[in-house]
Amino acid sequence: MSFGTLILAVIVIAAGAFFLSRRKVLGLADGDRRRLHSLPHYHGMHALLLAAVPALLLLFAWSVLQPVVVDRTAVSHLSGENYDTSGERSLAMSEVRRVADAIDGLIKGGKLNSDDLDGLSIDDLGRRLEETGIPVLADVPPQILDSARTYRSASAAGDLIKIGLVLLLALAGAAYGYSVAHPDLRARNRTEMGVRALLVAAACVAILTTFGIVLSLLFNTIEFFRIYPAHEFFLNLTWSPSFGGGSDLGIIPLLWGTLYISFIALLVAVPLGLFSAIYLAEYAHPKFRSVAKPLLEVLTGIPTIVYGLFALLIVGPALSSVYGRGGLGWMPSDTAVITAGLVMGIMLIPFVSSLSDDVINAVPQSMRDGSYGLGATKSETVRKVIVPAALPGIVGAILLAASRAIGETMIVVLGAGAAARMSLNPFEAMTTVTAKIVSQLTGDADFASPEALVAFALGMTLFVVTLGLNIVALAIVRRYREQYE
Amino acid sequence: MDAMAHTDQISMPGSAPLTEANEVKIAARGVDVFYGKNHAIKNVDVDIEDKTVTAFIGPSGCGKSTFLRCLNRMNDTIDIARVEGDILLDGEDIYDKRVDPVQLRARVGMVFQKPNPFPKSIYDNVAYGPRIHGLTRNKAELDDIVEASLRRAALWDEAKDRLKESGTGMSGGQQQRLCIARAVATQPEVLLMDEPCSALDPIATAQIEELIDELRQNFCVVIVTHSMQQAARVSQKTAFFHLGEMVEYGDTEKIFNSPEDKRTESYITGRIG
Repeated sequence: MSFGTLILAVIVIAAGAFFLSRRKVLGLADGDRRRLHSLPHYHGMHALLLAAVPALLLLFAWSVLQPVVVDRTAVSHLSGENYDTSGERSLAMSEVRRVADAIDGLIKGGKLNSDDLDGLSIDDLGRRLEETGIPVLADVPPQILDSARTYRSASAAGDLIKIGLVLLLALAGAAYGYSVAHPDLRARNRTEMGVRALLVAAACVAILTTFGIVLSLLFNTIEFFRIYPAHEFFLNLTWSPSFGGGSDLGIIPLLWGTLYISFIALLVAVPLGLFSAIYLAEYAHPKFRSVAKPLLEVLTGIPTIVYGLFALLIVGPALSSVYGRGGLGWMPSDTAVITAGLVMGIMLIPFVSSLSDDVINAVPQSMRDGSYGLGATKSETVRKVIVPAALPGIVGAILLAASRAIGETMIVVLGAGAAARMSLNPFEAMTTVTAKIVSQLTGDADFASPEALVAFALGMTLFVVTLGLNIVALAIVRRYREQYE
Repeated sequence: MDAMAHTDQISMPGSAPLTEANEVKIAARGVDVFYGKNHAIKNVDVDIEDKTVTAFIGPSGCGKSTFLRCLNRMNDTIDIARVEGDILLDGEDIYDKRVDPVQLRARVGMVFQKPNPFPKSIYDNVAYGPRIHGLTRNKAELDDIVEASLRRAALWDEAKDRLKESGTGMSGGQQQRLCIARAVATQPEVLLMDEPCSALDPIATAQIEELIDELRQNFCVVIVTHSMQQAARVSQKTAFFHLGEMVEYGDTEKIFNSPEDKRTESYITGRIG
């Protein structure tokens, strides 16, 4: 019985519990639903939840734990000098699994009777495996084969017990739900509790996953600092990883590139985004606004790789033709801080303008009336009343845009170049933290080397910086939100 | 005849009979207002006198606020609104092409139903109008205007020690007096008030009413109100609006004691509305 069939069986049992309980309750109330504490379908739902939830929870828990337990029994067969370290053992275990799979294939193909398996000599089995063409080691060591046998039998036993227990639990839950079904049962309240638990569980999964990500970053960062001194990482002014060892892994040039490119991006995005937001919110005709705003918001959905291509193929060469060798000679190559900054700024315009437009619209009409009533013009009203009233929201929008700029990767990879450099010239190629995370992990370096682990330290730094920006942005928005009504 | 007995009980401190008519400040002739297809104001003629409090009364949706907003062209900010007819301020047509609505609104100030101080300091709220219209040459003059306006709005004693605090932190009644001070600071000739007390408690209402009576000495005041007692207390002239028409206009005392039109009588005795 496969996983899917098992779930289907549980669902069938639960559905049966639903209909039976509903019928029982209605029967007890002589078919008059006004005499029930809850609507009939709540009574059914109560039984359904009792049948399905514990059984499914058990099923998932079992499915996660069984491989661990089976591996542990199988690994006990592996002893001797070849299987001393955990690395060797895990390599052997993957071989064990492949042999077990191959045996399964033989049985399924009718070339081997499962009853014969125990009596089969090792050489014989090895030959048969070879015949099937399934890629296993030419001569399977006896230990592996033993282990594979245990692995198979343990898995089979586990699967059987799992199916039995899950079905039993589902039936028990259904029976209990049916037995307690009664017109006076507070089925609605209990179902509400069930719904609540479901929602809490969903929220927990999201939060716990985030925690998991942070923790994995953190542990790998700590690992990195164990083999590479932290003060070197934070204070060294050069970034030159060499996979042979002896690298300089200073974050400062990368941070400089990140901040410089983000700064140029914001220099482009903030004025343009803010002005277009003011135009849309205050000046544009409602009909125009109802078309233009969704269009602007569509722009936020464009994948950043597309912007990256735009930077690489159009903006870079265009800038280069004016400021590069053919023109003013300031720009050594197409990829430069200014290329990535401009394109990133364009990417952020809709982001800034959409958020700012929302906060400007949230300024009450009475503020505008008050200002117009005093004889202020439109632009005076915008400058002196609306923008100050909306300022917290606008600052929040800008900070959120900034944290997006700092975390942006693809535009930088394609538009800014790869040289870690500290310079004030925006026409020079520089690189960012994110781009370097990509390049450190896409090589074929040893995963335990500082050159690879530094990616986690970079990621952690980035995480802390953007988290800080987001917290500040949210705090500002929240702090000043209630200034008017 | 119970109508007469009822209205006699309303006290009218503010509506002492006028010995002589003041000069006409605003004259409206044949004014029609349309909101899209909706004919909101129908052929209204009225002469509003200077140094007088004129009250517009009438049931909800009768057009009194709409007409008030015509007097400083606030309806211009609503796209679908269209105004026909003549409205003359000191004999000048305010809907003439040469008139800048922005300058007009500096001469005809407005106080709204809900207090709407800007989220700025009390001082900046009052100084808003003088600053945008360039009414002062230096900080000292601006200080003087702010103080005089706050005094005139009977708010100086409460506000003088907290001029730098936000105007939104005051109580509702204080906020509305701040809005009056803000309107007064622009040195308008006419003050329009759109139900200025409807969001306030009785004590704050009494303060505002007292203030309106004082403002009469310097301004032409037009007030829209839902409360007939308030109209009787603060105004000298009253106009009754019903379904977009101005039914009756005259001395407050006469409107409340011996209305000519049946509809006016029904409204002030509480039979329609």
